[in-house]
Amino acid sequence: MTSGPYNYSYIFKYIIIGDMGVGKSCLLHQFTDKKFMADCPHTIGVEFGTRIIEVAGQKIKLQIWDTAGQERFRAVTRSYYRGAAGALMVYDITRRSTYNHLSSWLTDTRNLTNPSTVIFLIGNKSDLDGQRDVTYEEAKQFADENGLMFVEASAKTGQNVEEAFLETAKKIYQSIQDGRLDLNAAESGVQHKPASPGRPLAAPPAARDNCTC
Amino acid sequence: MSFASKMPSLRIDQSDLKCKNGCDYFGNPQWQGYCSKCHREQMMRQRRAEKASTNPSATLPKPEQKKPERGLKLSSHSSFSKFEEKRLRQSETLKKANLLKFSVFKKSSSDDHDHTPEKRPPEFKIPAMVFEGMKHDFRARFPALAPQVDRDARVFVHSFIMDVIKCANVMTVDELSERVQRQYQRFMKHMDTSPHFGNVDSDTKELLLDFVEKHAMTYLHELPSVVFSPSGTDDERLDRAMSERIQQLSWVGERHLECKLDRNSAACRQLLYKAISELLGMDSAMSPGGKLARVRRCCRHVLALCGAPASADDLLPALIFTVLKANPPRLVSNINFVTRFCNAQRLMTGEGGYYFTNLCCAVSFIENLTAESLNMDKKEFDCYMAMPASIGGSAWAAALSLCGCAREAEEQLAAAQALLREARDVQAQAQAVHDNAATFEEQIVKKVQDVLSKTPLEIKPRRELPQFGKFKSSAKPLIDLEPSVVPKETNPEPSDQALAQTGTSVQQPLIDYKDPPIDHKETEAEQPRIDSRVPIALPAPPLTTKDQKEQQILTVDTSSTEPEKLNILGFEVIDRPSPKSPQNLDQNWDLKQTSSLELLTPSLLGFTPFDSRSIDELMTPDEFVSDHLAPGLSNINYDIDLSDFSGDNSLAEDAPKAKDPFSPDGIKKFDPFAPQPSTFAETLEKFNEFSLVDAKTNRPYDPFEIVHRNTDPFSAGLAVTLPQQTTDPFSPQQKEGTSILDDNNSPTAACLLPSPLLPQSSGKPA
Repeated sequence: MTSGPYNYSYIFKYIIIGDMGVGKSCLLHQFTDKKFMADCPHTIGVEFGTRIIEVAGQKIKLQIWDTAGQERFRAVTRSYYRGAAGALMVYDITRRSTYNHLSSWLTDTRNLTNPSTVIFLIGNKSDLDGQRDVTYEEAKQFADENGLMFVEASAKTGQNVEEAFLETAKKIYQSIQDGRLDLNAAESGVQHKPASPGRPLAAPPAARDNCTC
Repeated sequence: MSFASKMPSLRIDQSDLKCKNGCDYFGNPQWQGYCSKCHREQMMRQRRAEKASTNPSATLPKPEQKKPERGLKLSSHSSFSKFEEKRLRQSETLKKANLLKFSVFKKSSSDDHDHTPEKRPPEFKIPAMVFEGMKHDFRARFPALAPQVDRDARVFVHSFIMDVIKCANVMTVDELSERVQRQYQRFMKHMDTSPHFGNVDSDTKELLLDFVEKHAMTYLHELPSVVFSPSGTDDERLDRAMSERIQQLSWVGERHLECKLDRNSAACRQLLYKAISELLGMDSAMSPGGKLARVRRCCRHVLALCGAPASADDLLPALIFTVLKANPPRLVSNINFVTRFCNAQRLMTGEGGYYFTNLCCAVSFIENLTAESLNMDKKEFDCYMAMPASIGGSAWAAALSLCGCAREAEEQLAAAQALLREARDVQAQAQAVHDNAATFEEQIVKKVQDVLSKTPLEIKPRRELPQFGKFKSSAKPLIDLEPSVVPKETNPEPSDQALAQTGTSVQQPLIDYKDPPIDHKETEAEQPRIDSRVPIALPAPPLTTKDQKEQQILTVDTSSTEPEKLNILGFEVIDRPSPKSPQNLDQNWDLKQTSSLELLTPSLLGFTPFDSRSIDELMTPDEFVSDHLAPGLSNINYDIDLSDFSGDNSLAEDAPKAKDPFSPDGIKKFDPFAPQPSTFAETLEKFNEFSLVDAKTNRPYDPFEIVHRNTDPFSAGLAVTLPQQTTDPFSPQQKEGTSILDDNNSPTAACLLPSPLLPQSSGKPA
């Protein structure tokens, strides 16, 4: 395996959902902008809404789609969900209404993605603790009830943003390893790249085994 | 009767019973007169022909072989009507046939190679252009990849297109789409496993897949109703419906969609306009990838429209607004085409996929747009919808049309500038051509002059003639004669002839010779003549004009020939005062050489003058004699004199012999010169050479004869008679000679000659 920064084994597709103004785009920018400083010099950086991370020694390219959160677009934004391996569901801890809408978002997500899709609940704007309208415990309970991972984060400070994305990736990778995620399905949201030119010839069969499982 | 009627048939039967094919087996009427074997073959052939003609783009792999008609029905019943199906297929076959024609011309080995293994009806052939284009594109895009990869890609595209065409009529669109997706995966797998792609990295493989998709789909896109708004779907109807719907919604503004657009901002308008034009361009892109690229560019503009920290919350409404304002043609068909036949991975991930998804959302939103989705009152919404489409959105429409006009103006301006540049280029090129022509002309003129300068030999005898006149009259009388109008009149005629023959180039030198040389010669040369009465003066005038060239030629020759010539001159002068003219070529040369040398080298001048004096003296009397002989025409007299002298003077003949070593040179020079003028007229040197050869043979012998003849014709007209007698080249030469004669010092003489009185008078005093 070559160790170039551009080689990656998987592509995970994420979507970020949530009401308008909860900071979906800011979370995305916070996450992807870091890559400019840290990981990849140019080409990948130019690429739209992506960042390469490493999970269990595997390089994974995250492809993150921002979505429109307006209520009136809810009906038509279903195509966003197609083939998402991870869904980051975002609410604003300073606005209760955004939290209240979570159940409908969750319903949409469950209906429109495949069962193996990992859903991660993010309470954004944790830096505005003074204006908090939704308590951590309340949200945590909601997450547990629905089997969601949960974290409070701040797109502004970057707190927990990285963790949210990484944890999601780990979970997805885990489900791949477990075989719960069918890599061959177009809707899986995961694209395996048998990649890297220098790989030994013995690798492809292994990769194919991986695919067929 | 029946028997009778049968009889002949029976008789014929013997031969006719045989198989129509001419094989030795007996035929059978049931088999249309063929034997069983031939009949079977015939049937096979017919079936194949039917298949090829009626069922080109079909269809069912197996039934097709037995009953093509059934295949037709089977395939058609899935679509609306048989007629429709047939029409489409016909147009398809027509198109293919047309493309085939091209392929016939462009048939490449690779194409053949691709096609031969799979035996398909000819209509199935994919035009070679597709693969030619692929080849070029591949080389341009993947110069580093092995040709094997290129071949594999082309093979795949071929099989892919074939597969799609074969399945298009049998499968529903969704099935076809699935099949296409599987094809993409197949190619991807092929790239992963094939050794050809061993050292191709994964990113390049993605690009290769896009490449393959692009070329296959670009071709398929052109086929009607195969992949783009395929038969069996109501994509076209939806297109129209969508277009009407968008028109109805033209009143929807940025306010309704709550997107932050500033109509008053020029930058905003520009961006919107760009986005719209990209969106409109989606229809003209052929491949799914191309359409995706258009959408991507469109959405980037839209993003820029939304402001710096753009999010999907802003993007989607703005995109909806853009679609509403753009009303792109065949929007549904395009979206469906991309959705169905673009590589699914491309749609699922990546920027293009993201934006395309947004576009899908926007279209979907527009389709389902209600008062609620615009957050407005239902009644108000209905009012808007009931409003004629032309009224709504006038503000934005105006702004955009303004923008469009501005853009158009810009484009026009750019086009105009481009045209201007082109015009300048053309002008510059025209100028270059003009200069080229000018230089060419100059070169030609120069060449002509060069040749003329090399050839003046002929001229000299004529010069001598004028010289005689001058000498006869002495410089002063000559001068007196020159001013007389007559010479000038005579001059133009020869000059005209010269013009006709050699063109302007000849003219100028002639003119130069005429006036200035005369003056100079008269003043400069004549003075010395007068002072020393150097015969050199005679050759000198021609030399002055053509000195240099003569010098070049002569210097070498003269160095060796000088003494001889001098001697000869001396002899000639003594023996033959007039022979100079009769000797024409050879002697003239000598004279020239000597004269030039003398003129050039002062020492020579010192020697020569004496001889020249004697020559002059001798000359003049001869001229007198000649004049006396033919009082009417001075020229005639000269010629006659010359001929006589040449004939009389053994010395004259001896002189050339003595010059023999020189004479060959001289002759050669003469020959070229003589022919050259003629060739100048034609501006072809080759002719000169030919003429030279001829001239060589002719001149040495003929010239004398000609001269004699000339003497006679001179009265009537030298130019006319000579050309008739001699070859063409001669005539120009003579003409030139005459002109030159006139031009050089002689003009006076020439002038004098036609007017017999003057020469006589001049001769008498001398």
